[in-house]
Formats: sequence, structure tokens, C-alpha cells
Amino acid sequence: MGMEQAWVLPAIPAVLFVVIALFNGLMPRRGDFLAILGMATVVGLVFVILVEFQGAFQGGLFTPEGANAYAFDWINIGQGFFVIEFSTYVDAITMVMLPVVTIVALMVMVYSVGYMHGEVRYGWYFAVLSLFVAAMLTLVVSGNLIQLYLAWEGVGLASYLLIGFYWERQSAAEAAKKAFITTRIGDVGLLIGIILLWRATGTFDIQEIISAATSGQIGDRYLTIAMLFLFGGAVGKSAQFPLHVWLPDAMEGPTPVSALIHAATMVVAGVYLVARFSPVYAEVLVARDVVLYTGLITAMMAASMGLVTTDIKRVLAYSTVSQLGFMFVALGVGAVGAAMFHLFTHAFFKALLFLGSGSVIHATHQQEVGALGGLRKKLPITTATFIIGSLALSGIPIFAGFFSKDEILHYVQADGGPVVYVLLAGTALLTAIYTTRLVLLTFFGEPKDHHAYDHAHESGPAMALPLIFLAVLATVAGFFVFDQVGEALGFAGGIGALVYIDHPHHFTQVDYAFAGIATLTALAGIGIGMAYWRGDARRAVQARAWAPDLHALLANRYYMDDLYQGIINRVILGAATVVAWFDKRIVNETGVDGGAQTISYLGYRLKFLQTGRIPNYALGMAVGVVALAIVAVGTRG
Amino acid sequence: MTESDGYVLLALFLVPLGTAVLLMLVPSRERAVIIGVTALSSTAMLALSLYTFASYSFAEGQQFQGVLAFTWMENMGVLGADGIQVKVGIDGITASLVLLTGIVIVPGTWVSWKVQHRTKDFFVLLYILTSGVFGVFVLLDLFFWFMAYEVALLPMYQLIAIWGSTRKEYGAMKLMMMLMAGSIFIFTVIFALYTHVGAGTFDMEVLINAQKDENFQKVFFPLVVIGCGALGAMFPFHSWSPDGHASAPTAVSMLHAGVLMKVGAFGVLRLGFQMMPEGGAFWAPALIVVGIVAALYGAISALKQTDMKLMMGFSSISHMGYVFLGLGTVNVIGWSGAVLQMTAHGLMTALFFLLIGGMYDQAHNRDIPNFSGMAKQMPIWTVFFILASLASLGLPGLSGFVAEVHIFIGAFRAYPIVGGLAVLTAAITATYLLRMLSQAFFGEMNPRWTGLKEITWAERAGATVLALAILTLGLWPSPWIDRIGPSIIQIAGVGL
Repeated sequence: MGMEQAWVLPAIPAVLFVVIALFNGLMPRRGDFLAILGMATVVGLVFVILVEFQGAFQGGLFTPEGANAYAFDWINIGQGFFVIEFSTYVDAITMVMLPVVTIVALMVMVYSVGYMHGEVRYGWYFAVLSLFVAAMLTLVVSGNLIQLYLAWEGVGLASYLLIGFYWERQSAAEAAKKAFITTRIGDVGLLIGIILLWRATGTFDIQEIISAATSGQIGDRYLTIAMLFLFGGAVGKSAQFPLHVWLPDAMEGPTPVSALIHAATMVVAGVYLVARFSPVYAEVLVARDVVLYTGLITAMMAASMGLVTTDIKRVLAYSTVSQLGFMFVALGVGAVGAAMFHLFTHAFFKALLFLGSGSVIHATHQQEVGALGGLRKKLPITTATFIIGSLALSGIPIFAGFFSKDEILHYVQADGGPVVYVLLAGTALLTAIYTTRLVLLTFFGEPKDHHAYDHAHESGPAMALPLIFLAVLATVAGFFVFDQVGEALGFAGGIGALVYIDHPHHFTQVDYAFAGIATLTALAGIGIGMAYWRGDARRAVQARAWAPDLHALLANRYYMDDLYQGIINRVILGAATVVAWFDKRIVNETGVDGGAQTISYLGYRLKFLQTGRIPNYALGMAVGVVALAIVAVGTRG
Repeated sequence: MTESDGYVLLALFLVPLGTAVLLMLVPSRERAVIIGVTALSSTAMLALSLYTFASYSFAEGQQFQGVLAFTWMENMGVLGADGIQVKVGIDGITASLVLLTGIVIVPGTWVSWKVQHRTKDFFVLLYILTSGVFGVFVLLDLFFWFMAYEVALLPMYQLIAIWGSTRKEYGAMKLMMMLMAGSIFIFTVIFALYTHVGAGTFDMEVLINAQKDENFQKVFFPLVVIGCGALGAMFPFHSWSPDGHASAPTAVSMLHAGVLMKVGAFGVLRLGFQMMPEGGAFWAPALIVVGIVAALYGAISALKQTDMKLMMGFSSISHMGYVFLGLGTVNVIGWSGAVLQMTAHGLMTALFFLLIGGMYDQAHNRDIPNFSGMAKQMPIWTVFFILASLASLGLPGLSGFVAEVHIFIGAFRAYPIVGGLAVLTAAITATYLLRMLSQAFFGEMNPRWTGLKEITWAERAGATVLALAILTLGLWPSPWIDRIGPSIIQIAGVGL
């Protein structure tokens, strides 16, 4: 087992999906143990691959051989006329994704045993989780763009099925539909981008395309257009402005699903895609600037909406959108390593926060912060781990998020210009504020719904252990940047070289002044939050009274959902009405039925020629004969 | 495929024909016999078509395989030595279409066993129709080819008018009138080809390989497109399709949308592009326009439909638009996509109509707003329906994507803007299908339908056959591509 056998990783959950989906009714515990065992095996295999990958460390970079493993021709028209070849490719970017996906998936599955206990369709739930993991792993090991697209849609399908898991609720069904269609709009761009790249290079192989593009074989303007279309896919999948609207609604799904799919893994697929093509984006700076500003707008917008949202999961959803924006900003200034590092740490602390919110919802059956409060006494483990996650999200030193966010800010300051830097730092401040607000309203102050509060209690180890494990990761994952730490753990050149990809030797020292400013920003955010809310929900009402228009703007999500709904109702369904009318009235009734009626009318008229009187017919014959005679004579000349 | 396999090809259309004759001799009250005979016969057809598909493998220099000819009329009047023959033979394209027909007829037979009214007559007509479809795919003599073409159409009228629902007389009459009008064009082209080539034969191999004047091709190619396009529900000759589907009984909708519409597209390929390549090249841009307009037009119209069958009718127009778009690209990738799409759309649309029929037989209602939360009442039905929808909206891993990606790429090679619009159409398809799923299948159960039962075992089995075929083509398309691709490369006048 090594890099060349990377196809085994998605194969295991894929087989388990089929087995569990078809036979979960026959299995004890509906097959949940199978999914978890399979997942644990995959985690083990990832580390086996990681060890082999370590052996390829040379001169500060990973240069693995055999990473691009040929698999088979999926489509081959006429011996090489047109080929789509499925292959696996493992490099440093893949090696960051693999542990993230598999570890979070394993934690979420274990957690789900407790969280989903007694739910309907329990076996189906684990089957679709396995399907998701299979598709996600295929996505990150794909060496081919069509294969990547296949996996890309596969994770979308799993997301659709899981958002709509409680389909008896109309809102869940609508949210699933919205998520699928919104991301599908992005996927139109992705597929067009893929085909445009094929058209220029004649191949779908990612590495061949990158080398063709970086060696200047494709015209600049053409390449810019292709890369913008490709980015469209990332915008949809990673819920970036203007296609971010589906992610908050996706919170209709079970909470562990939100942690896995809508926080840690699927939504970072867009980041992965852009990171994968970063050498090409470095060639077309216009496209890369679009990435930068899309990320910046998204980060700011989502953070501001997180300030007023009252649903605990939706706050985290906006936070996710915002943090993904941070990653795109990093990609937009060419800091691939920083983006991947933030992806890495964010996966752990955001999954932790989601699972923590799940624990709250499980205990209280409430997810409106207005009905929570004071839960720290009832849910000590959840509270402690949630606070660790919040500190990581806010960017307080020693916690993982601090290091990665600091890196992004560092690169932005250097390469993005002062305006972008200030705006992004301001967003970091907002992050700390809304995070503090969430923690205070949920866990501190007085309980607002006593019925929910009285019945709340910490759930069993299946839910507590993943929280603790992820809390540990959210604390230590940041230290991985330091080469000394990595080497102490037995990684050649430190883990930083692995996560950091193209900037391997940057992280031996800390810029204390810069880190100090970032820390102060985060502390200021927490301070503002604590000073304002102090666990008092009434403050929210005051905030609304203080700036009602601003509050309405944020609470209504900048009216973008309304705008889209308006476009769908007025423009798209309007066009459909016109076309359907045209088809019914013009094509069918006028053209087809009208044609038929004309003929039947003519038949009605002409039948009167059939008089039944001999003289009429004789006259007709005579006229005919004369006419024929004239024609005959005329043509003979 | 050897020469003796020609007898298998003969059997393909003689088995359903023979079954129809046999059924005529069975007294109508003997339902068990009728069911037994049709069960055997449909299984035999599936086995024969599987054998045909499996034994075909492309060989250089062989335009058609399994060629077998019996002369019927020779040296009479204008007829030459090979005048009119019963001649069979297939290439990779027809191999895949034969398999499609075999796969669709089996579930079509199974679900028709619940027809109570004049069961025997129903199957007689259904099998005559099937015989015609197989005939179109395997016959290589234009005289009998056209006969098979007509035989495939005529039973539609009775099948819809007698066993249909809603506005069945109107639907049947409209369908028949429009398709017959199309036949006139085809008839004209056949005789024009015969006289223009002047070899005194209707042998398609001779006619394909003969030299034809360029102006002749330019004049007669559009007639083929109009004539066959009407059967393929090509915009603007599609009007019979939604009404015809809406009023047809389940098995007829399945066969019609699943296979007969493909006969139309296949006619454009064989009678049009293969006979008149230069005319095809000349008119290809028009075909592209018609194709992309149909794809968008059908999809946008489908957004507004509330009757499930009407929605599927417009959806079919949209998907057949892809086929004509693929044909219009005149390159190997686009054409492969067009032929793959015939199979892909045939499978998923047959599954759709099977499922809608299974529900309509109980509810006597197909209006989407009347339903809600059906997943609770009919979970198995819902699973199959979701699968068909996902295939239809082009989800990778299912049949639709394999075909569509070829068509998109082919279109991008020809005209990038059209390719972009085609990809966009796939997003509109997702919109109308997911809107229907969300409204009718999810949400709270509408108590009005608590009496509905899950689909019958025959329907489940039939749906399973189609679902497996959809998955196989989607995940492992090589068997189809290995047969279709080389045959297309061989057709003259086509570049990459």
C-alpha cells in the first residue's frame, strides 16, 4: 500500500455505501459499525501513505515519484481518438486534504452514533455518509478533471441527500433543492472551464494541463476566461459571494452532517480546486484578483451577517462562509500554503464548533440563541470544548486558528496592499465579536427557556469523545507550522513543509510584532463582545433599536435571497410562462391544430364541387381536355 | 459477429412479429396463456438483443456485420439484379440501439400485464410495433426499412386511442397525422435516392457508398431532417410529443419515448448523414441551431408544466435537442454523444414513464401540486424516481452524463457559445426536476393519498432492470463506446 494505490481510499467507503444502503435492514445496528470500521481503516491507510510520502522529502520540497498513478481508460473512442483516463495523483496538497477528510469523517461518524440514535433511516444515514467520503476522497486524489467533476457532483449529491435527510419537513426539502441548484449553477462554470482547458490542450489530465498552461501554450485571454469559469465551480461549492445563499439554509441537515460536509470538507473543495491550479492562476493575475476580491467580499459580508443571526448553527454557517473567504483571499495573493494551512486548522475547529452546537441542540432541542443561555453548568464538556473552538476561530494564540489566520494576514499585508489588509483584519475583529456573542448567549447568563434548560444534560461518550479529540486538534494543529515540532514527531523537514507546500522554510521563527497586533485584534473583539452582551439576550433587541435599518439589512441577508427569489419568480418562471404560452397558442393551436382545421375547412368547402350532377362533371372533363390539349400543343411547339 | 449471426438479426424482428401472430390465435379469455407467451417472447428478445450487442465487435473494413440477404424482387421493370431484398446487418450504432430496445421491451411487457381491457389486442399491437422498431435497426434495404418504419408507427394510433387516458383521441390523431406527414418526406427521399443513384437497387450499402451529386444532397438532406425529425420530436415539429405521451398508456409511452423517438434521430444519421454527407455538412449549422433551441425550449417549457407526463414530454424534447445538437456538430465526439444520448435518454425516460404510470393507475391524477410527501407513502417508487431524475439532470455516474459530456465537448469544438448554452440547459433541467421532487415527493404527506400502494412487483422488477442499465452505462460506458466510436469514425466525412 502506497501512493500508487491511493484508489483504495475511496474504494472502501464506496463499497460500504452499496452494502449498507442495500442491506442495512439485515445488519445489527443497521450497519453503523461497518461504516466506522471502514472509516478507521481508511484513516490508517492515509497514515501509511503519509509515511511513504515522507520518504520523498528532498531539498525542502516533496517530490514524490509514482504519485501520478495510471489507472484505466474510462472512455476511449477509437484507440486514442478521444480519451478520458482515470488516474490518481498524490502530492502535498492531496496529503493535506487526506487526513482532514478522513479524521473529521471518522469523528463525525462516531459522534453520529450518539447524535442520530433512534432516528428513522439510521442505516441510510451512514450509507450516505460513506458515499460522501468516497466521493470526497475521489475528488482529492483525482488526476483527471472529468474524474474530479464526477466526484465533485458526487459530493453534491451526498450533500443534497443529507440536507434533505429530514425530508418530511418542507423546509429541509427546499433547502436541499436550493443547495443543489445553486451549486449546480457554479458547476456549469466548472464544466465549461474544464472543456475550455481540454479544447486548448487536448487532455483532461490535471498535471499536463498545468504544465501546458504555465509554459505559455495557451493564450492569456483564453486562459483567463477558462480559469474564471473554473473558479465559478469553486464559488458555488465553497459558498462564496454571490452563490453563498445555499449554505445557511443547508443547516436543515443533521448537525454532524453540517460539521463534516458544510464546514470541514465539501465546502473546501473549491479552495482545493483553486489551490490545485495555483500555478496557472499565478499566470493569469486578472483571474487571481477575482479570486481575491470574491473572497474578501464574502469574508466581510458573511461575518457581518453572523453578528445578527440568532440560530446557533446559522451563525456557524456564516462563520464558515467567512472563513472560506479568508482562504480565497490567501489564494488570491498567491499564498497557497497559507490557504491550505487555514483549511487544515479550520476543518478541526469548525467541526468541533458544529459538533458542540449539535450537543447543545441534542440536549435542549433548541437552536435559537434566544432560548438558550447558562448551559455551562449543565454541559461542562460541551462548554469547555466549544470555548476552545471559539478561541481558535477568534485567533487567540496557541490555538490553531491563530497561526493560520496570522499567516493569511501576513501574506495579505505583503502582497495584497494595505486596503485589503485592513479590511481583512477588520473582518477578523468581527469574527471575534460574533464568536464571543455566540458563546455568551449560549453558555453564559441566565437560562431563557427553563423547560429546555432543566432537561439538558451531557450526552454519552460517543458524542463527548469526538469533541475532546477535536478540541485537542484545534489546540495543537497550529504548532505544526514549526519545523521543530514536526521533526520531533518524526516528519522529515517538519510538517510545515508538508502543509506549506511552496514556502517550506518560512516557519522557523515568529514575527512577534505582527503576531501581537493580530492577537490584540482578536482580544479586542472578544472584549467588545463581552462588554456588550455579557450573556444578556436583551442587548440584541437594543442593537436592533439602535440601528434598525442596518439590522434589517443584515438580518435579511442583504436581501440577496429575496433578490434571487424575485429573479426566479419574475424572470425565469416568467420566461417559462412565455415559452409555454408560445408553445400552446402559437405552435400547437395555431400551427398544428390550425393547420388541421384549415384542411378540414377546405374539405368542407371543396366537397360542394361534388354535386352529383352529370352536366357539371361533363363540363369539368371538357375543360380539362381542352386545357391538356393546349398544354400538349404548346410544349410540342 | 459472423455471417450466421445474421439469422439472429432476422430473429430480432421475426420473434415479436411471430408472437403477435401467435397471440391472435389465443382466445382472449386465456390471460394466463397471454402472459406466459409475452413473458417468454420478451425474454427471448432481451436475450437476442444482448447476444447481438455482445457478439458485435468492430472490425476494420466491415461497414456492417452479420450481413444476410434474401432477394425478394429482381430484374423487374426498373429493378436491377439486387432490386429489393430482405437484407439485415448491423454496425456499432445499431448494435447499441438494438440493445436499448431489448432492455425497454421487457419492463414494458411486465407492466402491461395489468392492462385489463382487451389485453390480447394490446399485446398484439405492442409487439407489431416492437417488430417494426427492431426492423428499422437491423434492415439494410430501404424498401423494407421504410416498411418497418411505418409498421413501428401505425399501431400507435390504436394503442393510444383505445388504451390511453385523458384526451386520447386528440393525442392519437395528432401524433399520427404529424408522423405520417413526416413519412411523406422520407418516402420522397427514398425514391429520389433510388433514381439518383440509378443502380436499380434499394440496398442501403450500395446507396451509402454510391456517388451522389452535391446539389442533390443539399436539396434532399433537409427533407430527411424534417421527416425523421418529426418522429424525433425535433423543434418545431415536436407538438405531438407532450400530448401523445400524456395520453398514451404506460408501455406505449415507454417504448415511444424510449425507443421510437430514437428511430427518428437514427434516421437522420443513417438516411441523412450517411447517405448524403455533403448535404449534412452543408446543413449541420441549421441542425445545431435547431438542437440548442429545442434543448432550451423544452427545458424552459418543462419548468411551467404541472402534469408529470407533460413535463416528461417537454423534457424529452429538450433531451432529444441534445441528440440533434450532437449530430449537428459533425465530429466524432459529438456524434458519439448523440448516439449515447439515444440510449441514455431511452433508458431514463422509460423508467420515468413506468413510474408515473404505476402511480397514475392508482391515483388517476398526475398533477404535481396535488401531491406532497409521497416518499412516505411510496418509498421504493420515490427512490427509483430520484434515480431517474438524477440521470436526467446529468449527474456523473449515471447514463445521462456520459452522453451529455460528449455532446458538450463536441459542441464546444464546433461552436463554444452553443456548448456553453448546452451546459446551461443541464442546470435548467436540474431546476424543473428538483422542483418537482421537492414539491411532490418531500414535505408533509398529503392525507388524500393514504390509500395509494407501493408500485407492484412487476413494476419494481422492471424499474430495477432499467436502473441497472442506467448505472452500468453511467459507470462503465466502455462496452457502448467500443462499439459506437469506431463505427462513427468509419462514416465518411467526419473528423475529430
